Amino acid sequence: MSGVGLLLPVVVPMLAAVAVPFLLNKGKKIIRWFIIGVVFFNLLINWITIHSLNTRMFHIWKLNTFIDIFLKVDELGIMFSFLVSILWIFTTFYAIGYMDHEEHQERFFAFFIMTLGITNGIAYSGNLFTLYIFYEFLTLATYPLVIHAETEEALHSGRKYLIYSLGGATFILLGMILLYTLTFDLSFVEGGLASLKHIDKKQLMLMIYITIFLGFGVKAALVPFHSWLAAAMVAPTPVSALLHAVAVVKSGVFALLRLCYYVFGAEVVERIEGNLYISFLILTTILLGSLLALHQDNLKKRLAYSTISQLGYILLGIVIINQNALIGGILHLINHAVIKITLFFCVGAIYIATKKKYIHEIRGIGREMPVIMWCFAIASFSLIGIPPSNGFVSKWYLALGGLGANKAIFAVLLMLSAFLTAGYLLPIVVTAFFQSPDQEEEETLVVSRYMTAPIVILTGVIVFLGLFPNTIIRYIEGIVSKLI
Amino acid sequence: MNVIKMFPVVIILLLLLTAFGLPIVKKKKIVFQISLATIFIAFVMSGVTLNYVTQVGDYLLRIGPYDIPWGITFRIGYIEALMAMLFTGVSLMVGWYGVYSIHKDIEEKHIKYYYLLLHILLASLLGIVFTNDLFNGYVFVEATTLSSCGLIIIKNNKSTSKATFKYLIMSVLGSGLLLMGIAFLYAVTGHLNIGEVHRELVKVAAEKHNIVVISLSLLLVGLGVKGAMFPLHTWLPDAHSSAPSTSSALLSSLVLKAPVVFLIKIMYQVYGLDIIHTTPIFTILLILGLAGMILGSIFAINQKEIKRVIAYSTVAQMGYIFFGMGLGTEMGLMVSLFHVFAHALTKAMLFLCVGSMMEQSGYKYKDEFRGIGKEMPVTLGAFTLGALSMVGIPIFPGFISKWYYSIATINAGQYIFLGFILVSSLLNAVYYFPIVINGYFGKDNVKGKIYRAKYKPVKEVLPLAVLAIAMVMISGYSSTLLEYFKFGLNLK
Repeated sequence: MSGVGLLLPVVVPMLAAVAVPFLLNKGKKIIRWFIIGVVFFNLLINWITIHSLNTRMFHIWKLNTFIDIFLKVDELGIMFSFLVSILWIFTTFYAIGYMDHEEHQERFFAFFIMTLGITNGIAYSGNLFTLYIFYEFLTLATYPLVIHAETEEALHSGRKYLIYSLGGATFILLGMILLYTLTFDLSFVEGGLASLKHIDKKQLMLMIYITIFLGFGVKAALVPFHSWLAAAMVAPTPVSALLHAVAVVKSGVFALLRLCYYVFGAEVVERIEGNLYISFLILTTILLGSLLALHQDNLKKRLAYSTISQLGYILLGIVIINQNALIGGILHLINHAVIKITLFFCVGAIYIATKKKYIHEIRGIGREMPVIMWCFAIASFSLIGIPPSNGFVSKWYLALGGLGANKAIFAVLLMLSAFLTAGYLLPIVVTAFFQSPDQEEEETLVVSRYMTAPIVILTGVIVFLGLFPNTIIRYIEGIVSKLI
Repeated sequence: MNVIKMFPVVIILLLLLTAFGLPIVKKKKIVFQISLATIFIAFVMSGVTLNYVTQVGDYLLRIGPYDIPWGITFRIGYIEALMAMLFTGVSLMVGWYGVYSIHKDIEEKHIKYYYLLLHILLASLLGIVFTNDLFNGYVFVEATTLSSCGLIIIKNNKSTSKATFKYLIMSVLGSGLLLMGIAFLYAVTGHLNIGEVHRELVKVAAEKHNIVVISLSLLLVGLGVKGAMFPLHTWLPDAHSSAPSTSSALLSSLVLKAPVVFLIKIMYQVYGLDIIHTTPIFTILLILGLAGMILGSIFAINQKEIKRVIAYSTVAQMGYIFFGMGLGTEMGLMVSLFHVFAHALTKAMLFLCVGSMMEQSGYKYKDEFRGIGKEMPVTLGAFTLGALSMVGIPIFPGFISKWYYSIATINAGQYIFLGFILVSSLLNAVYYFPIVINGYFGKDNVKGKIYRAKYKPVKEVLPLAVLAIAMVMISGYSSTLLEYFKFGLNLK
């Protein structure tokens, strides 16, 4: 069976997840090492998969032309799965440090590693149907992680998450079925599956586009479907960092990339003017996210709204339908993931060390936790877009794209948002370093190495990507040139 | 004469003979062994029949020495053989489960009568599916009603008495209407054999249009009561929730289905698509199906007792089946038959899970089952699988149904109903998911519960596991099943 190797990145983490309950009696340490082993193994498998030439496509289950679940390797999928796999490794170490004193660790790690398998499945989905299936599974697998604390609040947030996600999935299903009756195929094709010959049914195509966009948009925290993200901050920080800054929301964005460029295709989207309608929502998302972030005193919630806003940037890059904008968008997908995960990690470290969750509580904490706060500061500068950080590079491309599409308003918007981003991130830095704490405590707080190391390394990556972005940019240009 | 051809009759005879033999048996253990062995043999024979049909095609089986058009015949084809396998298979699992649990619901001395009734029920269900004669079908339908009433009332308490009475009255009314419908058909065609009736009916359909509409309506309402079509479903929640769990499983998964299969056969083999299109019957089916789909779920949300939640869910699921019939296309029918399969397995499993949880904990209300996931993780796990299927999560048969119903709806040009199908699946989540979530999660829910405290021994949970595995396998074999249904319908 050629191509069966393609199953490995998806199945191995899932099998590992099933194995975790059986390791219960061996002790927590064994479980941790097991998970560490699995995430590294996963990276290795991904590497092997993309390099072995005959594992390009694999049909898991082909019922008929309707129901066809298959995996396929292409550049975009590789990029996403690598991003996710690498960040998963960092998060595993961080989680080991963070969850040290929490209950139900086995359950946490089981679903944690299962989500990795599912995200790999999303990355390597060969058609919309397969993507939809893994998408549904993603919701189910991340639910136990969101409600981990099992408090009233956690269950409530979990319910919200489920309602939004399942609702979104229903939209996707609706759009998918309608699309199927038009094209009789749901595969991802570079440049678009729906060719111009379907363009005579413009209204229907537009409706399908908007329906599926909104459906995937729920996970990408598109306004007005964004409120689940802030509520989901009740989860433990590793979950918030990885899932809600990286895996879950970026899966939503990834799916939208597939929708716009591999299902509909750039030309078709422009012809049906789908991007015009959606861009209103996206602009609202960018602004609303930033504005709401300014209001939040809870650190994690502030970062959540920031994510909503930043995702808007990426989506903007996708719908402007312009090479530079798309490069900027995909680049920001990567950059934001790295930055946001670092920011969340820092906030989580503060919580573990001091039990503090709110900005007004962390006055002067820069003196007690210098390393962490310096990393936070650097990551913040990057997100604002100050050179030579990676955030600057992606925003540069987005601005170029906006100008290139003769829509100067986008560039203006980017500037405005940069100010707002500074507005909600810098006060944290200032409060931490320049304000005096309520109680005078000069000793440095000790944070577990498991948490500090990922933070520092990731900050290093942020700076590195800012100084030497070219490899990644070349790779992305390779992808984009085939799409537009 | 080919022995295999006789199998359907042999199955029914075997079930009836053993049924009447059971009361003489003294030991409970022997009763169980005879019963399960018989049903198992029936299951195997159904499988052989299916295999035979795939090779030879469908055939007619003459019962007794009289030929058509005076005698009774059975018609065995793909649909009949598949339904036989389904009915015997589910009964086997339920009967097996009953071995360990029925004594908790009914008195010891009544157990053999329970299995007697089970045999008669199964025999009559099979009879409805196999028969090619209208009156014969009516007789079997009556036998089904009476034996299912017995299966409910055998648990002797006030609520079952009330529920059975309600069921009996409504069902008998339904049977009466069914008989009237058959009488009308006999009056205009002079025959009772399905094939013969069709031949004559086609000739007279144009001039006797009123009779066609009246008889079809009577049949629809009569069989609709039995199949819990909205708004004739009101007997169902009481009956299914007060009965012993094994009976509930049988009622929801099988007893509702056979009359519907009979209705499908009548509609397509007696009347035929063309004739029915001249009547408003399809539209009525569509509307009532949709109403059932949505309202069944809405009523389920408000229920306090856990069994009533699942009973109303059945009403909703039957709504899907009637909707598929109402589309009036071949594909709609194929999906409905598939949904019969999917729902039978899923609902049987759900009722057995719930029964299991109720027995071990003594609770009845859904709020009392918080934290049960810690005490009975595997049982709730099977319940979760069933719930996921009901909501329509991919890889489960519920999703396959949802998908194909959507495609069938679009192919029939009725785009507007797509929304109803999708919304209805979401509604299922509103009442199923909280049971699962509160069972496994929630600090307050799980406090004080001990892991696996109420765990049942493995052998008692096996029937549940088998049903769960069968449910997932149905998804895998869905395209084969759909094809078989297509051959079986054989619409020209």
